[in-house]
Amino acid sequence: MRLSVDVSAREDIPPWLAYGAPVFTVIAALVVGSVTLVAVGVNPLAAYVDMFVVTATQPFGILQTLTKAIPLVLAGLAVYLPLRANLWNIGAQGQIYLGAIVGTWVGINVDGGAFTIPLLLVGAAVGGGLWGAVPGWLRAVYGVNEIITTLMMTFIATLFTNYLVRGPMQGGSGNFPQSASLPQAAQLPFIVGPLHVGIVVALLLTVAVWVLIKRTRLGYEIVFTGSNPDAAEQAGMDRARIYFTVLVLGGALAGLAGVVEIAGIQYRLRPGFSPGYGFTAIPIALLGRNGALQVLVASLFFALVFVGGSTITVNYGVPASIVSIIQALIILFLITAEFVKQYSVSLGIERAAAGASVGEGA
Amino acid sequence: MVGFVVGLLVATVQSGSSLIYASLGELVAERAGILNLGVEGMMLVGALCGFVTTVVTGNPYLGFLVGAVAGMAFSSIHAFLSITLKSDQVISGVMLTLLGTGLTTFFGKPWVSKSIDGFGRVTIPVAVKLPYLGPALFNNTVPDYLAILLVPAVWYFLGHTNLGLEISAIGDDPETADTMGVHVFRLQYLAVLIGGALAGAAGAQLSLAFSKLWIGGMTAGRGWIAIALVIFAQWRPSRAIVGAYLFGGISALAIRTQGISFAVGHAFPFAGVINPALAFLTNSIILSTYPYVATIIVLAVVSQGELRERIGAPNALLQAYSRELD
Repeated sequence: MRLSVDVSAREDIPPWLAYGAPVFTVIAALVVGSVTLVAVGVNPLAAYVDMFVVTATQPFGILQTLTKAIPLVLAGLAVYLPLRANLWNIGAQGQIYLGAIVGTWVGINVDGGAFTIPLLLVGAAVGGGLWGAVPGWLRAVYGVNEIITTLMMTFIATLFTNYLVRGPMQGGSGNFPQSASLPQAAQLPFIVGPLHVGIVVALLLTVAVWVLIKRTRLGYEIVFTGSNPDAAEQAGMDRARIYFTVLVLGGALAGLAGVVEIAGIQYRLRPGFSPGYGFTAIPIALLGRNGALQVLVASLFFALVFVGGSTITVNYGVPASIVSIIQALIILFLITAEFVKQYSVSLGIERAAAGASVGEGA
Repeated sequence: MVGFVVGLLVATVQSGSSLIYASLGELVAERAGILNLGVEGMMLVGALCGFVTTVVTGNPYLGFLVGAVAGMAFSSIHAFLSITLKSDQVISGVMLTLLGTGLTTFFGKPWVSKSIDGFGRVTIPVAVKLPYLGPALFNNTVPDYLAILLVPAVWYFLGHTNLGLEISAIGDDPETADTMGVHVFRLQYLAVLIGGALAGAAGAQLSLAFSKLWIGGMTAGRGWIAIALVIFAQWRPSRAIVGAYLFGGISALAIRTQGISFAVGHAFPFAGVINPALAFLTNSIILSTYPYVATIIVLAVVSQGELRERIGAPNALLQAYSRELD
């Protein structure tokens, strides 16, 4: 007699599983994440209530969450769009930096009057787009794996930012590694409280990406190429052009994420201005891989994790890295949920070893 | 000048060791067809666990071992997700790095101020008298020597043992290997776990022999460099050591050239263009970008057409193998 694990592909995904998976995922991640809280002597239930319920029910918490969601939506879309073509833009972080560099430079050096803000947004999109264009071009023309190149480009961008704020772009009083402050005309105006007009940019682009994917020929080609590149090629679609386009557009979106963070909140370019938005964008795109609007929802959730995370860091003195632990656990359970969605697993007790089960080697 | 070169070589070997461990580990995993982007996370787990063990027991050898075992245990998460659950290797690896960074920063906080003696230097007599190379190669800690010895060991393992050849076989063509009776899943697990152990050792080398302290995020991107190195080395152990020392050397050089300016004389043609360009290119921060730029260039060169056959990239890298499903 032995215990057998039988795994078989599902014919169709039951609706409760398809729609419930993200919810189960988040709950499972929070339950496992609570172990780390218990380990440092914090009551996880109270901490989670502070983190999510309190933050999401107070006006200030809501505004902060919305503000935090702005760069996350844009960065999430930057990973989501290439993902539709089955490309991994792991390097949104680098494109964020480039957008911030170009945007800050335009903001400080170009006096465009009322057009300063549009100019710096366009500049940032071009900067991020160029940073995405290098891996895009290498992928399209030479078939170079975009995962590694986008990542390498991130390190180059981070170091380049470090160089600029200590050298050519260093400004402000003292010898701190930072740029000069953006002039008033280049700062994004506030709507209410800490919420700045970047939210409008983020919402407009979410809709734009939704329209692009669902309503345009290019979007259709992107999704088709993503699901079956060979068939797409047979149908006369230019795979190289699509790969290049999605990575350039993704880079431009990430570039905007960088500049709204600078022009909306920080007003200066600093080496570590983006606390891993580009990497958080990966689980966001994964949670929202079914559509741009889902990306928006996922970004709001991760913004809540960020804002709530800093609340419990202050209230309970737990290290801020609880945020990255919860993020990682969400990805972990998301992957597991993908598996459960695709395969049904049943446990059974058998007399003899019946064939080779897939759980072999586990 | 001699002092500068010797100092540079010594620093190169010391900062290259962790890259050798980590890139050899990643190389073994990738040969089996599994990309593990969690190197940075596994290194941090190895660094912290090794450090804590050494603080508690005072024995760096035990710490080093525990670091390797911890890295291995941590890599089993990636193995389970990517091999058994057949999930996306990219996303699972990124998750591992996020989780490792988060957990070690979280639980490592109380250990930040602790100090250890760590590994001491072991000088090999006579050989150390060699000009230039002697002080760099023969006056190191035990993990540094082990790193160098590991290169031929991994080379022999992958190219001259049944197990190693089977690992390469499943990375190239898992279906055929399976038909031939090779245990694909079992060996993929083994390869990922070896990779985890070596990444853990890389982290422990950093915290026990290199910097002899623990700070959150102390690997500072070395895990990602190790991944780049595997491509740079075109999946060959012998080239991994060259790459590791090259990358280590550049970071050692970047620290050492701070404040030194390179310039041609004013009478030199185009001095007005050349001097700012030289100043930019030899800036210590810009120098640090060279390994990444080099990796992109190498990747672009080796990805072209007929070369692809010769470079040794595992054909089935990133493809989850499933026997009877789908």
